[in-house]
Amino acid sequence: MGALKSLEEVYHIIDANFLQFCASRGIFSVEDFLVHDVSMLMASADKLSNSDRLKQGINQLVLITETYHQPWMNGLMLLEDREQNKHYISTGSESFDVLLQGGLREGHVTELVGPSSSGKTQVCFQVASNVALKKGNVVFFDSGNSFSPTRIKQMVTHISGSEENKVNGGVEEAMRHIECHAVFDIYTLLDLLHQLKLNLKSQSQKKSTELIIIDSISSLIAPILGGSNAQGHALMVSLGYLLKDLSHQHNIAVLVTNHMVSGEGGSLKPALGESWRNIPHVQLQLSQHHTTTNIYGVYILRHPYMASGKSVNFMIP
Amino acid sequence: MEVLKSPLSASQKGKLISAGYTSINLLSSVSPSHLALELKISEAEALEILKTVSDGSRSESTSTSCTIVKGAQSAWDMLQEEETLVRITTSSSDFDNILGGGISCKEVTEIGGVPGIGKTQLGIQLAVNVQIPFDYGGLGGKAIYIDTEGSFMVERALQIAEACGDDMAEYSRLYRKGFHSHEVKIQPKDFLENIFYFRVCSYTEQIALINYLDKFITDHKDVKVVIIDSITFHFRQDFDDMALRTRLLGGMALKLMKLARKFGVAVVVLNQVTTKYSDGSFHLALALGDSWSHASTNRIILHWNGNERYAYIDKSPSLRSASAPYSVTGKGIRDSPSNNKRIKNI
Repeated sequence: MGALKSLEEVYHIIDANFLQFCASRGIFSVEDFLVHDVSMLMASADKLSNSDRLKQGINQLVLITETYHQPWMNGLMLLEDREQNKHYISTGSESFDVLLQGGLREGHVTELVGPSSSGKTQVCFQVASNVALKKGNVVFFDSGNSFSPTRIKQMVTHISGSEENKVNGGVEEAMRHIECHAVFDIYTLLDLLHQLKLNLKSQSQKKSTELIIIDSISSLIAPILGGSNAQGHALMVSLGYLLKDLSHQHNIAVLVTNHMVSGEGGSLKPALGESWRNIPHVQLQLSQHHTTTNIYGVYILRHPYMASGKSVNFMIP
Repeated sequence: MEVLKSPLSASQKGKLISAGYTSINLLSSVSPSHLALELKISEAEALEILKTVSDGSRSESTSTSCTIVKGAQSAWDMLQEEETLVRITTSSSDFDNILGGGISCKEVTEIGGVPGIGKTQLGIQLAVNVQIPFDYGGLGGKAIYIDTEGSFMVERALQIAEACGDDMAEYSRLYRKGFHSHEVKIQPKDFLENIFYFRVCSYTEQIALINYLDKFITDHKDVKVVIIDSITFHFRQDFDDMALRTRLLGGMALKLMKLARKFGVAVVVLNQVTTKYSDGSFHLALALGDSWSHASTNRIILHWNGNERYAYIDKSPSLRSASAPYSVTGKGIRDSPSNNKRIKNI
């Protein structure tokens, strides 16, 4: 929505007189009007000579704003949306998928936490390879220079080799479905996500993005967080809501990684604190069992409809 | 690209310019509703403008493939690029093997270990090896050496450079007899000339220098390796506010990664060790804490195993964890002698 002035042409009741009345109370845009107390405005309009006309204007504005909310949905429609649009994305390892009842869910923000070299990036690569082989697009935001095309190629070859007889072009095609962007500050990331949102809005359905990966989100946020820096906090939360919005509106699964810091008593806990904690829908903790094997463990820290505390082991090829 | 040259209608251009949008880059982060408000046009029209503009600028920058996000690269293209990259050798073939051929450019590699294990030696060796010319399978680049501890010994660098020059002379004698026989040998002094040395005396200086590196490398495009010996020193003292330290280190790590990616240089960060208490006992770990452990792309730990020095890959997105012996000789880093003996015996 915009300035009150832009409504002047459409609604005759909102005339220069009314605009002047609003401007004298510091109301220039529809947003200003929304945060203003309507009954106070009515009361002050009463004192003026042309109060009836002003009141009509206020009522008109209230009516306009009421039509601008999102349409309501009932439970059945939500369930249908779930079943038709929010698919599961396989992680590529069976026990992991069983734990999550099918894999990562579109419309969910999933967070992987774990200490360094616990397999976070490897899981990201594996999910990305898996989606790419099924011709879904993956956008990979890399903040740690850890995106390794060689490793992706290994994984793609491994997955396609075990399932069907692969053709040589298959690997290239799959790898063309993964695109990587190096980001080194949160402003660039916000910019890119806004751009992505815009493109998705205007894009036809033929080239759909199924998965967004941010590896790692904590290294972008950690430098701006803490101290007396309230702005860093605001940036972090707005990034979180942008991700949630993207995933819900466009049926995308979002996968982010977070590192761990030592909490009370030396035990490890996910970084970024309490206000980040309620952003991801699903939080999974990874650990590596032995430094020499490629067997990793995953543990549900938080899930919207599954009991937390379950864990399984899985293997990364 | 300027708005005037964009494929928009004249009235739209006029509106954009009068609202202050002279360049298309300014439009990349504007939301359609915001633009509609500013230009006093409908949201649909604003969306149309943004779409036209982003299409135009995209076809200008990347003509080969249309990516979803501007400036992104597909994994396949990156793979092609990576396969052409030359790595910096460590002068020890076993060490190179576990690294997949040497220290990778475009990445941050952290190397840590106990005092006396040879971190600085490895740093000097890399600063020399990066200068090996293309003809000899090297990069023909220059090195930046950032010394925070004052442990860089120029005499030692000269020794290593001499040994490297000798090796190259031998290589050309063995493999291309008579071919470039009258070729001018690189003098050890030339090696020293191509190492840019910075001495850092406090952590603020260190941050300032890393901020300046961007400009320095833009001016010296042939720099191929940045060695920081060590990142830890100034951050282990004079810090009361540990949260501030974590923030500063996090920011510095991002800047180093950006350098590595933007200029294709290898960033090698040396780190000290500390003792860490876990599971009821103390054991050695690299310094600067858990948050820092995420900062580097690759992590290599140097350690003693009996009387031999070993390098161990602790963390890497693309390499398997593995370890290899190496030794520090008068000539610099070389293969472990016991290992050679074993091969000879077989």
